[in-house]
Amino acid sequence: MPIDEQIVLAGADEHDLTKLAGYREAGGYAQLEKARAMEPQQVIQELLDSNLRGRGGAFFAAGRKASFIPREPARPVYLTVNADESEPGTFKDREIMLRVPHRLIEGCLVVAHAISSKHVFIYIRGEYLTEFEILREALQEARRADLLGGVTIVLHRGAGAYICGEETGLLESLEGKRGQPRSKPPFPAISGLYASPTLINNVETIATVPKVLEIGAAEYAKIGPPDSTGTRVFSLSGNVVRGGNYELENGTTLRELIYDVGGGIPDGRELKAIIPGGSSTPVLTAADVDTPLDYDALAKAGTMFGSGAIIAIDDRCCMVQLGLRVAQFYMHESCGKCTPCRVGTRWMVQILHKIEDGSAAQADLGLLLDVCDRILGKCLCPLGDAAAMPVASYVNKFRDEFRAHIEHGGCPFGGESSLDHVFAPVDQHALTPVPQEVPA
Amino acid sequence: MSAGETVRVTIDDTDVHVRKGTGLVETALAAGIEIPVFCYEPRLGAPIGACRMCLVEIEGMPKLQAGCTLTAQDGMVVRTARTSAKAAEGQDATLEFILVNHPLDCPVCDKGGECPLQDLTFRYGPGNTRMSFEKLTLEKPIPISPTISLDRERCILCYRCTRFSETVSEDGQLVARNRGAMSVITTFEDEPYRGAFTGNVTELCPVGALLPTQYRFQARPWEIVNTPTVCGMCPVGCNVHATVREGRVKRILSRNHPEVDEGWLCDKGRFAFTHLRAADRIVDPIKRVRRRGFEPVGWDEALDEAERLLRAAHGRVVVALSGSETVEQAYALAKLLRRGLGSHQAMLPEEVTDALDAYRLPLSAIGDAQVVVVLGDVPVHERAPVVDLWIRAARRKGAKVLSRLDRKAVREAERVVLIWSGPGGRGGASVAELAEQLGLAGKAGCGAFHLPATPNGRGISDAWAAASDEEEAEAGSIGLLLVSGDEAAENPDVRALAERAESVVVVSMFHGLAAGWANLVLPGTSYLERDGTYVNLEGRLQRLRRAATPPAPEELEWLSRLAARFGVEVAPYASAVFEEVSARCYGGLTFGEVGERAPLRGYPAAPEQVERAPVPEPAEATTGEGLRLVAYKPLFSGPAVERVPELQFQRPQRELELAPADAKGLGIRNGDAVVAAAAQNGTSVRLRARLSNDVRPGVARVAEEHAAGLRGRVIVTPATPAEATAQ
Repeated sequence: MPIDEQIVLAGADEHDLTKLAGYREAGGYAQLEKARAMEPQQVIQELLDSNLRGRGGAFFAAGRKASFIPREPARPVYLTVNADESEPGTFKDREIMLRVPHRLIEGCLVVAHAISSKHVFIYIRGEYLTEFEILREALQEARRADLLGGVTIVLHRGAGAYICGEETGLLESLEGKRGQPRSKPPFPAISGLYASPTLINNVETIATVPKVLEIGAAEYAKIGPPDSTGTRVFSLSGNVVRGGNYELENGTTLRELIYDVGGGIPDGRELKAIIPGGSSTPVLTAADVDTPLDYDALAKAGTMFGSGAIIAIDDRCCMVQLGLRVAQFYMHESCGKCTPCRVGTRWMVQILHKIEDGSAAQADLGLLLDVCDRILGKCLCPLGDAAAMPVASYVNKFRDEFRAHIEHGGCPFGGESSLDHVFAPVDQHALTPVPQEVPA
Repeated sequence: MSAGETVRVTIDDTDVHVRKGTGLVETALAAGIEIPVFCYEPRLGAPIGACRMCLVEIEGMPKLQAGCTLTAQDGMVVRTARTSAKAAEGQDATLEFILVNHPLDCPVCDKGGECPLQDLTFRYGPGNTRMSFEKLTLEKPIPISPTISLDRERCILCYRCTRFSETVSEDGQLVARNRGAMSVITTFEDEPYRGAFTGNVTELCPVGALLPTQYRFQARPWEIVNTPTVCGMCPVGCNVHATVREGRVKRILSRNHPEVDEGWLCDKGRFAFTHLRAADRIVDPIKRVRRRGFEPVGWDEALDEAERLLRAAHGRVVVALSGSETVEQAYALAKLLRRGLGSHQAMLPEEVTDALDAYRLPLSAIGDAQVVVVLGDVPVHERAPVVDLWIRAARRKGAKVLSRLDRKAVREAERVVLIWSGPGGRGGASVAELAEQLGLAGKAGCGAFHLPATPNGRGISDAWAAASDEEEAEAGSIGLLLVSGDEAAENPDVRALAERAESVVVVSMFHGLAAGWANLVLPGTSYLERDGTYVNLEGRLQRLRRAATPPAPEELEWLSRLAARFGVEVAPYASAVFEEVSARCYGGLTFGEVGERAPLRGYPAAPEQVERAPVPEPAEATTGEGLRLVAYKPLFSGPAVERVPELQFQRPQRELELAPADAKGLGIRNGDAVVAAAAQNGTSVRLRARLSNDVRPGVARVAEEHAAGLRGRVIVTPATPAEATAQ
């Protein structure tokens, strides 16, 4: 059941929350005061009790993560906010930064208090210029209003690499190094930014925290299913009538989101597939449309909650082309550090090209699945999995379509296929042209 | 260091007990089990887990883990590819991926046969390929410097080279560009990879991507022999393998001595060996003949002439040593001159003392120190390069590295190492006095080093003393000047002495150095062509083994024959000569006992050391106007380096280094053209200014070859526009 109550975006429809005055009118920064009157441990306890889980994609309990930070550290403690939102289909954090920047800042200050940190870094995706400017304005206002209380908040703009949204890749980039993930352990809570204890949270997670304090952990925990408490800002896109960000209670079904909220599939087309949590999650078919958007239910359906980006795909879409486009994205964004991802993503693209061209043999399908399997679970960071999982799911769930390509020697859609509104092709991601090989 | 807790780890059903925190790769090795690796290299800092070759199964962990990134924990149960199908599949997958774009040009690759990728593919990899697409093709080979060539297609992106550049030599010049499948190794801004240690990346590379240009297409592994010997290019004495094919040295590889070099070499030691085949190498004795000038003669005639000249000198023989002779050569020479001719006058290029014997430590102790004080004004890497890497290692571990003595810091630290690099060290006496003042004697982990200018100064001094107890006679006229070796032959002070000598005999490898000023020239040999021993700057006695046959008899052979003519018995074999010296200096150690990786033995029964009269150092002009000039001998200089074309790009720039504070006072910015004029005689040199934090205020540092004519104190001024543009 969709609820009216909003948490993260609460009040944004009625007030201009980008300004300090408007945010204060809506009760802003009251939770900061409240938190600062509490012991840090109490704030963490609130987070634990609320069962708020990370909104970046891994859905790790936010309270537990904060409790990993040593209480008496030998080095400074850092809070790092991951605003490098780049998973295809995901655009929720930009909405939060555009509309409720002060809630994010308030969340930062509350969490910084909870882990006794004096330094906050917000690593914001380089392409998000407007969002950066709005956040900068808000930060300036907060600073002038003396709200920071001795905490430094640094806004750091990325330079257009998906991998810097991976927490350790982000830390490397923040340190001025090449954006490549680190091997874990050590985990950032022990040795993160500048080898110091570091808590890394997604924008939405942090922006949820003030409301958790406001309504209380117990009340918050009542929203949504027990293991996926609260609301999420769902990014609905693809072949739907009304795409956009919708903050809904967790547990809302895909049908409710796509049909009731999103207005269904346009042009009288049929729903064919649903990507439930951003491009890296395994695909669902139209038959799964009654699956609720909660962690466990999606896991049961063989996929993941991911970043909460729902992409509806209609019957014009060729799944091979979709796979190719997804694989191309991950090939382009692979950092090149570990072998399976660096080589495997490119190989996947080559095989998918061959299938789409109609020059593949049936054995290539097995090879494609095997390459995916050999990437899965063997990489340094989740990027390799993010490429292998969805592509393998396209093959497994739409095998007939892949077979048809091979049997007919080409795409059965005969040029009628359309990926419009689904994913942009890679060349639209690239600021600089993709480097070319030298001909042999 | 505490002993640490011992833990039990089960690897492939074998229990092994290791110290907690031991890397899993080493733990497995302790059980006799291999965890294959490419990117893992403990000398490069923390493991990065990039190549995924080391995938293993750990009980309780659902996914395969990169073994190299894990450490031994009690009760850990590990399964490698030997007992886990999952791990075997993971390693097979990694190799399949690595080989997808690898060109497999092993038959023409110089790494073929000694290539970890080849070896591991045979052991763990798939037998065939499922890759049916065109492989990634890239421009190649790319000379990243005149000494190193890069093949990007062969590269498997293990990041060993970039990590070396970042965390060991700390030059930051090697980087990765682009990302994903298009990632390539490159130098920063595509500049040539320049520095004292670049060649190490060719040994770190686990494939044939980074190769020494000198070794490309030179040999196959089954036709080479690696001779274990010691580098003779500087006083560190890094342990090396000389790769020899058909009697010719083709390559120098490191031979890790963990106390001396940790497996790192400098580029001089690695690449300068081609001087053995220099175009002006002397292969026959040369005699000055009246009217006809110089002509090659046979050995009998040469020895006749040598005998005649020696007898004509009537005991007034002065020998100028190079400091690169072996202990045995120096002893043979000393025995001939001192016992056979009663001549006791020798000249070493620098002072040698035994003052540091109470403060001896292995070089590796620098890496464990808490405070390292580096005194003197010559950069450490120019004098004893690998010592610089030990200092950097110490700094990375948190040590304070000071360029001036801070007594408080020294008092507060448990492990203190003093290093003297530059003039004024008096052969170690200066730093030994300081160590005594600071009470470092006998304190564990504390010690002092003096960085000499010659590779075997101490050994030669030992040998000279062992040959005779006679006191040195006061020099009157010089009947004969015997110049031993190239370094002595190019020394201007030796040349000046030759003006006063009635006759001159030069032992030299190169025509360029010996031509014109000698009555007799005898062909010299290089350290790679000799058997014998060297004593390095730690006081460590090490073995040289002959890697290549010299084009002329080794010095010991003809010295033995010449000595016989004066009734002095010198064996023509290094082993026999060594035992004579050893009986007096090295506690009767036999040649065979010196060892392939020699321990630091110290001097058990040191005879009274004779302080040789050094070539006088220019008096330190400590006060006066202008800056004190430090003209140093750069690493990339000397007779050998001059004969290696690939190393010319490494020669020092025409630069004058000065402290930023001095520069500011003089109105000089980094990169400005400046004129340095000697305060005494007005000689001036035009140079480029470089501001450097490791130059002490009041000092102007210039490489010897660019400081022509400058001495004492120099007045540095910005060049006028006319001077700056004039050549």
